[in-house]
Amino acid sequence: MTQHSSIDLLQGTLDLLILRTLQAEPMHGWAISDRIQQISQDILQVGQGSLYPALHRLEHRGWIRAEWGVSELGRRARFYRLTPAGRRQLDVETADWEKMSGAIARVLKLA
Amino acid sequence: MTARDLWLRLRALLLRGRVEREMHEELDFHVEMQTRKHLAAGLGAVDARRLARAQFGSTALVEDRVRDARGIHLFETLFQDLRYAIRSFRRTPTFAVTVVATIALGLGLNTAIFTIFNTYVLKPFDVRDPHALYEVKWLTRSGVAPRFTWAEFETLRHDDSTFSEVLAQQHPLITRIDGRIAFVGLVSGNYFRLLGVDAEAGRTLMPSDAARPGGDAVAVLSHTFWQRQFAGDPAILGRKLLIQGQPCEVVGVVREGFVGLDLAPTTDVWVPMTLAHQMQNGADLFGPEQPRRLDIVGRLRPGMASRIATSPLLLWMENATRHLGKDDQARSVELISRATAIPLSPMTVFALSPVLAGFGLVLLIACANVANMMLARGMARQREIGIRLTLGAGRGRLVGQLLTESVLLAVPAAALGFVISRATIQAGVSVMFATLPSEFTEFMRVVPMPPDARVFAFMVVAAIATGVLFGLAPALQTTRAGVVQMARGDFGSDFGPSRLRSALVVAQITASVLLLITAVVLARSTQRVAAFDPGLRTHDVISLDVRDEARQRIVSALEVHPLVTRIASASTIPLDGMAPTVAATRPGSSAPIRVRYRYVSEGYFDLFDVPIVAGRAFTREEAVAGTPVAILSETAAARLFPDRHAVGETIRIAPNNGKLVPAARINRFATVRIVGLVRDHAADLANDGPATAAVHFPSSAIASNSGLVVRVTGEPEAARRTLDAALAIAVPGGVEEIHKLQEFAAGRLYPFRVAYWVSGAVGMLALLLTLTGVYGVLSYLVTQRRKEISIRVALGANVWAVVALVMGQSLRLAATGLPIGVLLALGAARLFGWRVLMLQAFDPVAYVAGAFVVVIACLMASSFPALRAARLDPMSTLRAD
Repeated sequence: MTQHSSIDLLQGTLDLLILRTLQAEPMHGWAISDRIQQISQDILQVGQGSLYPALHRLEHRGWIRAEWGVSELGRRARFYRLTPAGRRQLDVETADWEKMSGAIARVLKLA
Repeated sequence: MTARDLWLRLRALLLRGRVEREMHEELDFHVEMQTRKHLAAGLGAVDARRLARAQFGSTALVEDRVRDARGIHLFETLFQDLRYAIRSFRRTPTFAVTVVATIALGLGLNTAIFTIFNTYVLKPFDVRDPHALYEVKWLTRSGVAPRFTWAEFETLRHDDSTFSEVLAQQHPLITRIDGRIAFVGLVSGNYFRLLGVDAEAGRTLMPSDAARPGGDAVAVLSHTFWQRQFAGDPAILGRKLLIQGQPCEVVGVVREGFVGLDLAPTTDVWVPMTLAHQMQNGADLFGPEQPRRLDIVGRLRPGMASRIATSPLLLWMENATRHLGKDDQARSVELISRATAIPLSPMTVFALSPVLAGFGLVLLIACANVANMMLARGMARQREIGIRLTLGAGRGRLVGQLLTESVLLAVPAAALGFVISRATIQAGVSVMFATLPSEFTEFMRVVPMPPDARVFAFMVVAAIATGVLFGLAPALQTTRAGVVQMARGDFGSDFGPSRLRSALVVAQITASVLLLITAVVLARSTQRVAAFDPGLRTHDVISLDVRDEARQRIVSALEVHPLVTRIASASTIPLDGMAPTVAATRPGSSAPIRVRYRYVSEGYFDLFDVPIVAGRAFTREEAVAGTPVAILSETAAARLFPDRHAVGETIRIAPNNGKLVPAARINRFATVRIVGLVRDHAADLANDGPATAAVHFPSSAIASNSGLVVRVTGEPEAARRTLDAALAIAVPGGVEEIHKLQEFAAGRLYPFRVAYWVSGAVGMLALLLTLTGVYGVLSYLVTQRRKEISIRVALGANVWAVVALVMGQSLRLAATGLPIGVLLALGAARLFGWRVLMLQAFDPVAYVAGAFVVVIACLMASSFPALRAARLDPMSTLRAD
């Protein structure tokens, strides 16, 4: 198997993706996974088994905050919103990620 | 952990149901949304839902991982364990009750002891900033620790370099107010201001009250005394109380909770220090003699460490004692915290350690017993635990669960223990008052001992520690088994924890032996003290402490009283304390011997029925004139003149340290002629035994600073009351104390009786617990070895062989525990024995008796399992599996 229709997420990158997705507006869990899938053109599939634990973990860290709101279906849903601390964390992780991916790219190209 | 995190965790813990529901709802919503998406993509309703479900995977797994992410698993586990433990205790209530009762007993006794310890050693006085209060103590070059003079206090008071303020107080005077004993504190005027203690009614003492010697006669009462003596009468203010013959106006009552800076005794009444000369016999505190009577307590300046403060204080004391002889100059100064009644020092802990150790041992024995029971239960549950281990339960998880069970048992044990501790203290106090010699109860002041935060903290820590202590070993032991073995269904004898159980029982036997030997040593010492004949007639003798200015009138009144048959005086009343010593030397010798001395009046020997064995008693003329003559005890005579008759000889008398104090009474007797010898008698509470080397000098019945003794007719207690009442009318306030001499003998015995009863009770309790321990281990052993025993019986072993097998096992346990216990007892005797007078710590009878009782107890405890083993039916046992 050399071809991947979707790839597993690297350890730790899920947090970054969630924070980035929430930057624009508060969203519920399903919307987050759907958005990540759409934007990555179905390459990044976020499994529920990692999404929800990650959301709760981020909430405990104080980076996102959960509130009950009304979804597009008219049903109660848990919406997650980025907190100021989460915004700062997003900046840090984005910078880290860019540094790292740049470094990997250079190694792949030149080594 | 952020505040948010903590909040979320708490919420998850407290609103468990709600949080769980929300989680279900959130995950449900996810599936719903996915289904919608599939529907929109054109799938049928059923397929869309099925696909969404399939994509989601196991809901339970996701939920579990969410819970993990929340970090609330720990609590969940704890809840499960607790529920499980409670269920299993409900199945075996006898076990749970026995464990709780055993531990509660141990915890209760220890908490009672801790409560008392807390009251006297840990609990700070209810005054302003008690931790800045320090008492100044000093030592002379010869190692004596005298008190301070008024002049020294005055110089320190005006020096504020180390203390921001200092107060002076005297050891409470014992007096009688309206016929009842009261402790009177003579204090400097700034006492209450320095301590920050206010009045509940009226005012406290003020510096102006103590402005000049002999100044205002005012008094302040303690709340307790006010309640006890005057039933809290508000009209007490302005009343005049006769204290030591001085009418003192009551100006206030101190607020509740303050009873002075000593707890034994507590202070009932405070009067200004300036009344010292009016209230005390002896030299005037403010006169030229400068008697050393003051204790000095100061408040350290803020930021001053007690360690640093000693050097300027030593300088001050060196200055103050410069004019004295070399031996009496200051060598060192020490500051002792007055935050609590007894400072928490290594010395305090050492002195109390036998008591703490004794009670601690009971708790340990109780723990060992419970650990043994847990082990036995662990064996019964081996099958269950084995199956759980085989099914993949983590060992840590199982140990955690077993520990939860132990701690869960310790919690009700702590609650019950608390009740036991309160009951023990209550009972202890009432038993003490019921058993004290009657005349002593008046002097006893028991401080209330309410439990405070420290006591509760002690209970909680002790309960959890015991829970872990009795739970850990069994928990580790029962979960140790190999999975392979158990998978085969082999739960047999292979991993029987018998070595651990035996070790626990050996420890119990050791502790019981130690405690019982102590009890027997004390019991026999009590007997010895009780049987000790001091060689003095005591049963109809009454002693009186009187005020010097009333002495003449009291003696006259006593001489004509019909109940009094004889009257005498002594500088130290026999059996009430220890007479001081002097150095006596025979002419031509340079080796002085140390003898105790008394000034006694001419009727002293006759009154006490001490026979004159040679020479004669003092004459009245010698007594009045203070002629330099002396009467020796036989032992003193034999040691001074081993080769010849002592009567008629001359000896030289010098103060014990060889220094003459100017104007001292003893100087008149520097060279004395011996006029008589008396039979040896033990007038002192010293450890000298009956062979006391003593010397007596003549003195008159009205000599100041001495005690009076009278022999009475009729029932002594009735006579004491009659005399007391008669003197109260004839010479009001003249008698400070009046006691039957018998009471002194009983008082001397009392501490021994208390120690013996307490150690006896603790020892018996320990033995009882040990008995059940031995019984448990051997019962288990019999169960474990029943197959082997049955084979022996089947092969022809008779009943006695089987009984001997089991009882031999218990003897083997005893044989290990006994010598260790005896060794520990010997060690304890070496450490503490010399500190107590008349205590024969190395009493072989006590050692044999203690050990014997323990061996008998072990044999008794093992006889039941032994008989059970003997009754085993080999056929049915061997067929069982």
